[in-house]
Formats: sequence, C-alpha cells, structure tokens
Amino acid sequence: MSVEFLLERFKEAGSRPAMVWKDQTFSYDHLLERITFWKKRFLELDIRPGTVTVLEGDFTPETTALLLALIDRQCIIVPLTSASLHEKEEYMETSRGQLLLVVDPEDRVTFEDLGPKGNHELYQELRKRGHAGLVLFSSGTTGKSKAVLHDMVRLLRKYQVRRHDFTTLAFLLFDHIAGLDTLFYCLSNKSCLVTVPDRSPDTVCRAVEKYRVEVLPVSATFLNLLIFSEAYSRYDLSSIKYIAYGSEVMLQSTLERCAELFPGVTILQKYGTSEVGTLRSKSRSSDSLWVKLGGEGFDTRVVDGVLQIKAHSAMMGYLNAPSPFTEDGWFITGDRVEQDGEYFRIFGRDCDVINVGGEKVFPTEIEDFIQSLDNVAEVVVYGEQSNITGNIVCADISLVKNEDPRECVLRIKKACYQRLQPWKVPVKINIVDGIALNERFKKVRRRPAHGEKNGKGNAAA
Amino acid sequence: MVASPLEYFSLFFNMTAKNKIIHALFAAIDELNEIRPSDQALEKSSETVLFGAGGQLDSIGLVTFLVSAERNIAEMVGHPVTIADERAMSQRNSPFRTIDSLAEYIVSLLAEETR
Repeated sequence: MSVEFLLERFKEAGSRPAMVWKDQTFSYDHLLERITFWKKRFLELDIRPGTVTVLEGDFTPETTALLLALIDRQCIIVPLTSASLHEKEEYMETSRGQLLLVVDPEDRVTFEDLGPKGNHELYQELRKRGHAGLVLFSSGTTGKSKAVLHDMVRLLRKYQVRRHDFTTLAFLLFDHIAGLDTLFYCLSNKSCLVTVPDRSPDTVCRAVEKYRVEVLPVSATFLNLLIFSEAYSRYDLSSIKYIAYGSEVMLQSTLERCAELFPGVTILQKYGTSEVGTLRSKSRSSDSLWVKLGGEGFDTRVVDGVLQIKAHSAMMGYLNAPSPFTEDGWFITGDRVEQDGEYFRIFGRDCDVINVGGEKVFPTEIEDFIQSLDNVAEVVVYGEQSNITGNIVCADISLVKNEDPRECVLRIKKACYQRLQPWKVPVKINIVDGIALNERFKKVRRRPAHGEKNGKGNAAA
Repeated sequence: MVASPLEYFSLFFNMTAKNKIIHALFAAIDELNEIRPSDQALEKSSETVLFGAGGQLDSIGLVTFLVSAERNIAEMVGHPVTIADERAMSQRNSPFRTIDSLAEYIVSLLAEETR
C-alpha cells in the first residue's frame, strides 16, 4: 500500500503535533485514529477501489485523514478547495466524479453519490495497476483548465526518503501540487503543519509567531505584500529558518529586500508543475534568482530557451487534452529560462511575453524595475493590442501612499525611459487601488494577443 | 461657389474643434517631451512632422504620443476615442504625418461619430 510508510511514521510520531487548525493542535495519533475510522467506513459504504472521489475541503485534520484513507482504498482523488468553487461543476464533469465528499468549515463530512461515471481510459490503466490516483486542474494559459492525472504511488515515492522535520505553514492550497507537496513533506517527516484561516500578511505572521513556524512556503506576490504591509515589523518572526517561494516569477527587487529583512533566513526558490510534480531545488544564494533544479527522478534540458523536464513521477496524461510530452517523453514547461551550468533563471511563461513590433518583452523585467521605484506598492505588466506595433506594454500600478496620478505616471515613465529600452517603456500606465490577485495569491496578468497584427510597425527604429 | 450659412457654420465649428484638438495634441507633445530625453524633444507646431519621411517619432514614440493624445481628447469629448484604428492605418495619406493632418483626421473621426 502506498500510504503504509506514512502510517508507520504516524505511529512513530504518536502524540506529537501533526496539525494546527483553528488554533487547536491535533496529534499524529489523532490522524491515525481518523484514518482507521474512515477506512472502516469506506468498507461499510462499499466504496470500491478505483472510485473517482471529489474531495472538497482545505487543510484540516479530517480532510487529511480522508485523503490518506482514500489513497489507501486505491481511489482516484480529485481535491477541490473553496478557491475553485466557481469551477466545481466543470471539474466534477471533466473528472467524471462518482462520489463527492465535502468537508465543511467545521470539519464535518458529507457524502453525495454522483452517479455511475468514472470512465476514462487512463483511469482504467490506473485501476489495472491497482494504484490510487490524483486529479489536479492546471489553470492553463487560456480557456478550459486541463485535468492532470497522476499515479499516486509514483507521486508519493519521493516522500519515503526521510528529510528534515520543520514546523511548516500551510500557505499554498490543498488542490495544488505545491500545497500537496507541503502536506506530504510535513507528514512524511513527522512535522507540524500550521494552517491559517486566511492568507493576509498579518494572519500569516501571527501564526508564525504563535506556533514558531520554521518554514514559510509562499508565493512571490505574498512576499511583496509582506514587505509593503510591514507586517514583518509587528511580529516576532525569529523562528523562520526557510522561506520557499515559487508558483510565479519572483522579482529581483523583492527578493533582495526580503534577504535584507530576514538576514539569517535561507530563501529558496521552488519549482514544479501540476504535470511533473515538484522538483528538488537549490538557490545559488538567498538573494539570487538562479536556481539548481532536478533531484532524483528528474532530468532537465532547455530547448529554444524553454525549460523541458523529464520526470519519473510525471502525470499519466491529461483527461481532457492531448499529451503534452515530446516523443521522447519530455514535458515542455512553457517557462522561458536562461542557463548557467547547473543553474537556471526563470523569466516567466512564454505566453506572457509581449511582442512589441518583433521585440520580445518580458513583463517581469519591467515589473522588477518599476517595483524598485519610489512609492510603488505593486505592479503588473501586460500587453495590449496595437495597430501600430502589434502590442504595446501596459502597467497597472498600486501606490503605497497617495500621489497625483498624472504626475506619478509621468515620473514613472520618465524613469523607465532613462533605464529601459524604449520599446519596454509602458505606453499605458494605470494607477489602480490594488493589483488583482487570484485565490492562490498570484498576480492576475492579462495576456497579450500573439500572432496577430505583428510586424506592421517597425519597433523602435 | 458660395457657401450656404449652414456650411459656414460647419466650417467655423470644425475650425474651433480643430484648434481644440491641436491644443490637446500639444499637451501630448508636452508629456512626451517630459518623459523622453531632451535631445528628442518635439516642437509644438501644427507643421511638426510626426511619422514617416522626415518624421521625428519612431513607431514606439508614435504609439506613446497617440495614447496620450487619445486620453486628452477623450477627456475633452467625454468618451473614449481610438485614433489608431484600422481605418487610420488604411488611409491613403497617413493621418500620422503631421500634427495638422492628425488634427484634421480626428475632426473627421469625431464628426462621423456625431452623425
């Protein structure tokens, strides 16, 4: 059984804290007891191996126990959180869900039979193997989300290696590869996972102080919020040993500020995708965006400036899209990178690149510069169509304190002209109240139109 | 040919409108001059050649100028205005040649909107 090794470790851990939820601590013994309860209940309810089970919840003791009991029962699990409620119907339909388990905010569980679906050739393959499965939805670049199917046994294999025990904050979500990585990493090392009711800087810092959190896995955007909210100055954060960031491109300016604010802390970049899982990584230094990627079971290569990954733990395939792997089994990540020996620097999604009259513009380069200017709280750069240059660079900027918008825009444009090449200077700058963040604390970036209207102008002649 | 009073009125209206537009375009020149290096400063004259042979703007400069101009004119007329649309791109004589030709084009654009 794929979770046996975890259950063994839970026994070893015994009364040690496994999870802090709603300011209550739950032990590994408690988790074991609940897993045993659910295993028995599944037999009573005749939930058979291979059942496609939608598990809606967040990081709670009961959701965790259910997840592990379902893996043990060789079910195919489709985790959902409140962040994906808008897509719930679509996700249940795409995954051909047969059973819905909802863990409510009080940690109570309800069951709903969704009917005799669960048919898909990839599911059949998984059932033949007698393995549990995991379906994750990858937000994708445009249109519908892609349903990623993993063989849970392969995915869990890497957690069998014992690593360090650190009290860790559950910042990333339960239905995301990085969130699940946090969970399995913690459980396999008998660590305590501290959950938070919301992900605002103050709530997170309060939890760090109260439970002496040692590892803070967050999004780059959160670190920026942490800096300009100055929440770090209101709490004792001395317990933090590692800050791990990922899931979107980090700005050099934010990283440097963070390294300055947390001098004794190791700041690490993480990298993973729903399709291949989370790679092991090592940043060159706390203030460096260069990162070594790989680890056992992962190979990397760069083709045409885009990172490709080959992974033993790669997904079996998409349920609703053709295979994205090359013929020789490499996954094209779509992330533009630069390589220096073993190290990579990630510039952002290929589809976020703005083509201004044939010149490629990386939004993060411009965001990085603007972020370093006075009075800028947050910035997001994106492309907009133009009849003259194909696309133009636009920026939405939120400010720390009030400033005359017109003068502010001129000040920022002027600074950009002095430092950036002319085609990189945002043509349109909007001063906004706040930058839109999605439920996963990532910036929402509008995407430029590609392949249209390009080449009409000659850029920056 | 003698113009009718209505035609005189329309001519007068257009001249006033054109002057206002030139004013808005000059404000866009001011903005451009403020943000760009001083050796690339543009003169505030209706004869100033913007884009094309002898033009002082490259495509990026033109786009930047037009975005400011669109915003100024939108503030003036009270609704959004798109200058660099498909039609502007397909004119036989480019409206982006000089300040004067651009102002003429915008007058015709606005007049068409009100029709």
